[in-house]
Amino acid sequence: MKEQEKEVEKVFIGGLHEELVEDKVIDESQLEPDFPDEIKKYGGKDVMTCLQCGNCTGVCPISLKIDYKTRNIIKCCQFGLKKYTLGTRWVCATCYRCYEHCPADLNPAEVMIALRHIAVREGIIPPFIKTAATNLVKYGQSVKPDSEIDKIRSELDLGLIHSQDPEYHTVIREIQVLVHATKYDKLIGIQDEVKV
Amino acid sequence: MSASYVYFFGCVIPNRYPGVEYAVRWVTGKEGFDLDVKDQKQFSCCPVPGIFYSSDKDTWLLLAARNLVLAQNERRQILTVCNGCLASLMKATEYLQDPKTMGKVNKTLAQIGKKYTGIAEKSEGRRKIFGPVKVRHYVEVMARDVGYEEIAKRTKHSLKNIKVAVHYGCHYLRPTEHAAFDDPNDPVMIDNIVEACGATSVDYEDRLDCCGAGGGVRSHVTELANSLTQDKCTNIAAAGADCIVTGCPFCLLQFDNAQKSFSKDGIPVMHVSQFQALAMGIDPISLGFDTHHVSAHSLLRKLRGS
Repeated sequence: MKEQEKEVEKVFIGGLHEELVEDKVIDESQLEPDFPDEIKKYGGKDVMTCLQCGNCTGVCPISLKIDYKTRNIIKCCQFGLKKYTLGTRWVCATCYRCYEHCPADLNPAEVMIALRHIAVREGIIPPFIKTAATNLVKYGQSVKPDSEIDKIRSELDLGLIHSQDPEYHTVIREIQVLVHATKYDKLIGIQDEVKV
Repeated sequence: MSASYVYFFGCVIPNRYPGVEYAVRWVTGKEGFDLDVKDQKQFSCCPVPGIFYSSDKDTWLLLAARNLVLAQNERRQILTVCNGCLASLMKATEYLQDPKTMGKVNKTLAQIGKKYTGIAEKSEGRRKIFGPVKVRHYVEVMARDVGYEEIAKRTKHSLKNIKVAVHYGCHYLRPTEHAAFDDPNDPVMIDNIVEACGATSVDYEDRLDCCGAGGGVRSHVTELANSLTQDKCTNIAAAGADCIVTGCPFCLLQFDNAQKSFSKDGIPVMHVSQFQALAMGIDPISLGFDTHHVSAHSLLRKLRGS
């Protein structure tokens, strides 16, 4: 494995591998039996139906690169090893290959999405989520406008990006109303940007 | 009556690759296939699945439903140019077929004076088609509504010496229920469009693999995303391709940005609309290649020579 990938693994898989492989005893106090139900609440299917066949890991493009094994994570979910699963789920590319190959029709990609929901509610929010959400409530788009690109747009005679249209403030307002209605602004910590 | 559409460019194209926007407008406009398509200035972000679908599905669904309502009120099909927008909006129509979910969404949408009324009209293969809002991908519209013959007929400047590596992108193919307009295991539409433009689409190893950017991986762990892109580019280079053509601006962004991390020159990458526009005789200066990080000069030089 390349140095760079090792570093990525250390930082983003949070030492999951070492913790589980090094003769470490996991005692019952670390298990949260309600964890599978919590996953269901956020739209994941029942992780208990997982057969541990490993197809998901075999087809996962990320698992080829770092020690991120879908099957392991589902196993941790079954045991209720919540703390091992939360810091790490932002490396799933949501390519849905695991979903297509899962004989139990579990849809592991959606389980990862559910784990992200849980992580966010535990306060584990990667910075890019906040950036994109801020861009959304400010410009109506997740990508921040760029003045260099604006110059090229005007050279190409493409006109203003919608978000720079004076009429667009009504759209921003609508977005902010919706974001506020679900309390998403509070969840992500962007209340100051939302003026409803 | 032929179909009418409304452009949905999303976030990446207008803010990062204006050349793609120009190409799409040109190809679908008067100088191209003259489709009935208009702008809807009220659209917001789709919103992007890797961020909003991943962190709060309720918010994601509301924002997607808001966009769907705008298209519904126009009585036009949504013409997306991006796999992410396709996946997000298509998934939203599926969520909204549940009456309880739709009721809940409409209750909140009422706060901004909007109401979604979509219903599933028919099934096509494993895919449900919703009325009045239909979410279409640019590639599908080109392949089905315009047709390969028409594309070939309008090719002014045959790109016959160009070898193209086609990259479809994950959300064009999967989940298969809603991406079923093309064969998810052996997709052909972009290849056929490329061939209709006179070029050759080359086969390469693991062509359906992920570019690495999706699901927030690019934003979260760029090195990891780049490492996946590197594998793809190695295979593409081995097949001797002159350029990479994709239907997704986010894959385009990833290929374009990642290549500088592992190679000096890189393989030029463009959106399928830019490739079509080249074949239809546009002046390449309008395609905004100067906003791309990997220079398209090698390709343009080869074109001039052919």
